[in-house]
Amino acid sequence: MADDEDFPSSSDVEEPEDADCYLSDQYDDNAENVLQYLEDGRQEDCNWSVSSVITRESLLAAQKEDLRKIMELLALSEQHARTLLIHYRWDVERIFELLDQKGKDKLFSEAGVTNLENKINHSLSSFNPFTCSICFEDVSCSVITEMECGHCYCNECWTEHFIVKINDGQSRRIRCMAPKCNAICDEAIVRSLVSARDPDIAERFERVLLESYIEDNDKVKWCPSVPHCGNAIRVMGDIYCEVECTCGMQFCFRCLSEAHSPCSCLMWELWVKKCQDESETVNWITVNTKPCPKCHKPVEKNGGCNLVACICGQAFCWLCGGATGRDHTWSTITGHSCGRFKEDRVKRIESARRELDRYMHYHNRYKAHTDSLKQESNLKETILGKIAISENKDSRIKDYSWVMNGLNRLFRSRRVLSYSYPFAFYMFGDELFKDEMTPQETDLKQNLFEDQQQQLESNVEKLSMLLESDFQEFSDEEVMENMKHVINLSSVIDRLCKQMYLCIENELLYPLQRATHNIAPYKSKGPERASEHSSRFTKATNEDIDVQHGSAVNASGSPSPAKRLSQFQPSSSSDGKHGCSSTKRAKNEGSLDTPLFDLNMPAEVVDKSWT
Amino acid sequence: MFDTSRVQKEVVEFNRDTAISGVSIALYDGAGGADLTHLCGTISGPVGTPYEGGIFVIDIQLPSGYPFEPPKMQFVTRVWHPNISSQNGAICLDILKDQWSPALTLKTALLSLQALLSTPAPDDPQDAVVAQQYLRDYRKFLGTARHWTETFAKSASVGFDEKVKKLVEMGFPEDIVRSVLEGVKGDENMALEKLCSG
Ligand SMILES: [Zn+2]
Ligand SMILES: [Zn+2]
Ligand SMILES: [Zn+2]
Ligand SMILES: [Zn+2]
Ligand SMILES: [Zn+2]
Ligand SMILES: [Zn+2]
Ligand SMILES: [Zn+2]
Repeated sequence: MADDEDFPSSSDVEEPEDADCYLSDQYDDNAENVLQYLEDGRQEDCNWSVSSVITRESLLAAQKEDLRKIMELLALSEQHARTLLIHYRWDVERIFELLDQKGKDKLFSEAGVTNLENKINHSLSSFNPFTCSICFEDVSCSVITEMECGHCYCNECWTEHFIVKINDGQSRRIRCMAPKCNAICDEAIVRSLVSARDPDIAERFERVLLESYIEDNDKVKWCPSVPHCGNAIRVMGDIYCEVECTCGMQFCFRCLSEAHSPCSCLMWELWVKKCQDESETVNWITVNTKPCPKCHKPVEKNGGCNLVACICGQAFCWLCGGATGRDHTWSTITGHSCGRFKEDRVKRIESARRELDRYMHYHNRYKAHTDSLKQESNLKETILGKIAISENKDSRIKDYSWVMNGLNRLFRSRRVLSYSYPFAFYMFGDELFKDEMTPQETDLKQNLFEDQQQQLESNVEKLSMLLESDFQEFSDEEVMENMKHVINLSSVIDRLCKQMYLCIENELLYPLQRATHNIAPYKSKGPERASEHSSRFTKATNEDIDVQHGSAVNASGSPSPAKRLSQFQPSSSSDGKHGCSSTKRAKNEGSLDTPLFDLNMPAEVVDKSWT
Repeated sequence: MFDTSRVQKEVVEFNRDTAISGVSIALYDGAGGADLTHLCGTISGPVGTPYEGGIFVIDIQLPSGYPFEPPKMQFVTRVWHPNISSQNGAICLDILKDQWSPALTLKTALLSLQALLSTPAPDDPQDAVVAQQYLRDYRKFLGTARHWTETFAKSASVGFDEKVKKLVEMGFPEDIVRSVLEGVKGDENMALEKLCSG
């Protein structure tokens, strides 16, 4: 694969149909190489992601950016802009929307911002002497402060009020002390009065204001790394996404647990709980043991016949659980007539056993892929060794980047495969969607899904085998052959993964009437690497890479760059869709309506049809 | 940090017009002298309500941040009301929680409680059972509330010391009587039960 050429510009995507599939693979591979460059740190300032890392140092700058937007639009002071933003959870778009809907006065008053246009000015000295209605003391007008809302108290009382709120952790919005007054206290006054009494508390006030940008902001979250790396991640657009912090932590932005797509957050949460839970053990006990009628300890069946003996010495009948003597034959126990056979207990055991079997089925496969992933991670070192040998060989082939690209593809698709099992467990089980689908529908959809899952599985195993081959000992022809297989398989697998995600989003989750389950969209390159925060994305070409990469896999129907761009812009041109957890996302447009080749064909056949 | 001077002023100011306002406040003069963080308020049941004629005792605890933090108030007298727990006298009232303002006083708080007695807010209940009854069977609610007023709010107007005296006369040691009676918030019958059960 020649990778010395530059990325094709978007116009290059328009290619004759028949050449498309081959070219698309090439682009895909190019993008992978870019990723490789990034991994090697050879290309630093590439800002193609929609998520960014906010470090302690850049927090202020990130916050200022949003503050400035509001200050400019509404002609507000910084502190009023901050009060407004904290109240509306740093959602600039929402403030713009509400400004239209409610008007300035209402927008301001609900947030506790005093509209200075409406303020009546009077001189404080007219209050001399002043009786503070909180401490009931008479004080000089030089030690009283009037808030913008017009309420006036002595400085001692204000200071005490501020400190109580700061110590209470409520200092992001300190309300005026007057009853029923909704105004938020001027942060400059808080700052100066509190620091005069206690600089440490004033500093805490400052820090809390700063961190509000993370704490009160649905689009910014602390990286969940332990020990904490100190970073926060900001996403633009959809909050259902998977990101990678600069510290290397990969996580689901929505629920902050490990990246778990194509499971929804709820499915993953349930699955983790289920795996840890004792309940499965309890099920096992119900199925495989019976309580001793004497000491009530669970006893396992210890032979073929129906007489079981507890360690306490008590013998009993396995069928009915009744205490018996020890004298028995294969089919009867002396003096015992098994009359208390309980139908419902047998039924309960049957259903418990079915549930357990079902769980074991999915869990075994989930576990198998997770284990393979662990083993394959060790493969990386070995492969790097083989590449080093190959590169020093006397051979025409010098570029072995395809091996690492194939290996990365293997890791990512293994991940998808392993999480696809808990997904299927919940999608087609009774726990979540029992009332959403008829049993026939469930069967139909399960078949559709499992068919895709199996195709992906077999291709992933093939890729795994190919990558384990000792290519450093191959002839040039054999290496070329191997390379072609790896590249083609990688491409097929990428497509299959994408197809599976689309199937899940559009065919399985989207039709649900009651429940809303959104999943992070498929990313060919794995969880998105958050870039270091910079004030705005700089190079349009960077998005082009993403556009092409995304579309190259789809090939047909190139998406309009304008549409793509809009999701990078947090600006006023919003379509009103927020990544709110309760809303259902629109159907994923990246459909695969005109597949390039028949996905039901095994990879080798596809391979042959390409060459 | 605790502002004694404000509380002292409040108490003095408070009882000037007790006869008209129908609320009053007193210090518990326990063994260790006057403690300004623990007060006892009373509310007379508003006229024209099932609480009419009753005297309701409120236990008031002042946190160290008072008046910048709200006072903690709880009915000592048992009362049948949607916003007051029939079990423990806990109160659901916004000004005692997030709507508290340092410019409010104990008197305004007690007056708000009095107002709460005449206008219950069953949509934001403290006691779900009472609230249900209030919404579904108002007549029955009135009956129960009146009965509770008769049973608890009229005998409760008997002073704490008198109750102590009565129980001491029955032969229980005074220090134990005091602590038990305090523990059950002045409920004579419950105190007696506890004392008898050892
Ligand atoms: Zn004051
Ligand atoms: Zn005010
Ligand atoms: Zn991190
Ligand atoms: Zn999640
Ligand atoms: Zn036993
Ligand atoms: Zn046997
Ligand atoms: Zn039997």
